[in-house]
Amino acid sequence: MRALVTGATTPLGRALVDTLTSSNDCSLVLAVGHEAKPVRPWRDNVVYRCCDLTRGREVHDLICGDAVEHGIDTVVHMAQHRATRDSGRKVHALNVTATRELLSRCTDHPAIRRFVHRSFAEVYALEHATSDLLDEDAALDFDPEAPQWLRDRLEADLMVCAHFGGTLQIAVLRCAEILAADSGSQLWDYLSSRVCLRPLGFDPMLNVLALEDAVTAITAAARSTHTGVFNIPGADTLPLSRVIAETVRLDIPVPGPFLAPLYGLRRWIAGFEFRYDLNLRRFHFGGVIDGSRARRLLGYVPSHPVQWPRAWWRLLLERLADSRSDAG
Amino acid sequence: MDSSTFARLTRQAPFHDAGHGYDVFGLHPPTLAAAVSAGAPAYDWYFRVDSQGIEHVPTTGAAILVANHGGVLPIDAAMMCLDVLRRTDPPRIPRAVADHFVPRLPFVSTLFARLGVVSGTRANVRALLEQGELVAIWPEGVTGPAKSFKDRYRIKEWRVGFAELAIRYDVPVVPVAIVGAEESWPLAMKLRGLRVFGTPYLPVPATPIPLPAHYHIRYGESLRLDGGAHRKLDDPDVISNAATRVQVALERLLDETLRMRRGVFR
Repeated sequence: MRALVTGATTPLGRALVDTLTSSNDCSLVLAVGHEAKPVRPWRDNVVYRCCDLTRGREVHDLICGDAVEHGIDTVVHMAQHRATRDSGRKVHALNVTATRELLSRCTDHPAIRRFVHRSFAEVYALEHATSDLLDEDAALDFDPEAPQWLRDRLEADLMVCAHFGGTLQIAVLRCAEILAADSGSQLWDYLSSRVCLRPLGFDPMLNVLALEDAVTAITAAARSTHTGVFNIPGADTLPLSRVIAETVRLDIPVPGPFLAPLYGLRRWIAGFEFRYDLNLRRFHFGGVIDGSRARRLLGYVPSHPVQWPRAWWRLLLERLADSRSDAG
Repeated sequence: MDSSTFARLTRQAPFHDAGHGYDVFGLHPPTLAAAVSAGAPAYDWYFRVDSQGIEHVPTTGAAILVANHGGVLPIDAAMMCLDVLRRTDPPRIPRAVADHFVPRLPFVSTLFARLGVVSGTRANVRALLEQGELVAIWPEGVTGPAKSFKDRYRIKEWRVGFAELAIRYDVPVVPVAIVGAEESWPLAMKLRGLRVFGTPYLPVPATPIPLPAHYHIRYGESLRLDGGAHRKLDDPDVISNAATRVQVALERLLDETLRMRRGVFR
């Protein structure tokens, strides 16, 4: 396999490139990022290419130039705008237009046979009448009032799905939220505060994905020949209150109508990424994605529990304990 | 909390842990064990539940319990679930299927989820049957508790979705007659204008607290609805006939239980 990976400078991208290049069946990775220079040295079998995916000409040159030159046969597309506070045409261009352009170029490409699109479990609609266990046929969130962050992801997801059935083998991975720093995780940002407010009287079930499991799933999808949509759940399924307890935060239930203004004020004053309107439904109604299809066809089974964000004093204690045991 | 109940439910009851001690629907066996202990006085002393035919409930594998429904609040459902939990060995956790508005109710939605109740969607029930769970369904839905006192123990509306799933997954259906609930806490009136949290109406009970009616729970022989019908699952008549078969069995069971009881409070 010779793979092209977009979004290669994100934590997920870096981990994926490392995994692919250390495997026996991947001889070369063309890592694509927005930064002019790679943020860290890569292995010998990695070629870094700076590319602005919002420009059609650059995408054309990437797929019809570099990809041909390096004999790329698999494309893993993960470049998405992570910040929820940003909106507008430029953000849409990266989230949707770039995906369309990339897919269109790959469809006509002589050597590229497989396209893996990293999508998000947030595209599923969560309501009181939806199931607690969401399979790939579950209803999608077409709420026109939803933030652009969500609408863009849904549009990109459906656009890729519209290309099923052609010569290009396409896999769309609807991943659970990756709970890790710098991954655009809403929950990570929510838990970064010492006090976590949650809706009074509601404690829905959540599923979170570890970075290692996300890499495992994407690698399995890149190697597989199966096409279609695959839900990628994580190994941790637990209630919101337990998530807050795991991170040793103060859990304060607050009547639902007060939460939007409180978190809006927090964003406005401190510039946090967490948006309550984006998380309102999943903070009320349980919705865990069902990974049966990925398990059956891709052989993906989540096995890595997430590393919960810890308080500084707890990290310090753990390090002290480690150093003591090493000295012993 | 009764330590033996806690041990039975947390160690012996089959449970699909999705990590952290909860299943994907939110069931938490220690909370369930606490609820079983808390409900014991109501079961043993207040309603003096009398149960027959628990041997008809399969000890393993997927099955559907189909019961009649009545009373202002689902006390009948709680008593039936308690009965199954206490009388099956190893204990089977009945996964009660609730109406769509339940997840909108603050506190109730969370408590119900921890006790194993799931929202009544096809995908939820399908997932439970695939896991080999014991699913409890009240096909009358909200029309059961909404009945007037003169219509007690008469089945008004009968939804058929359970029959399709029973045929599709080839699981046994056990009819369960619950007698006592409709006299225990009859409905005085329905305030349809007050639809709080999506509930179809606000019930006004005839008495401030439930009366200590003597509960009788009777499990009928399990029914297999397949009979080769799985080839015609898309035929509405096949599903409707299968559902009617269960309804008739339940009505017969109800009539027998009503005939056998000595009085409402005795």
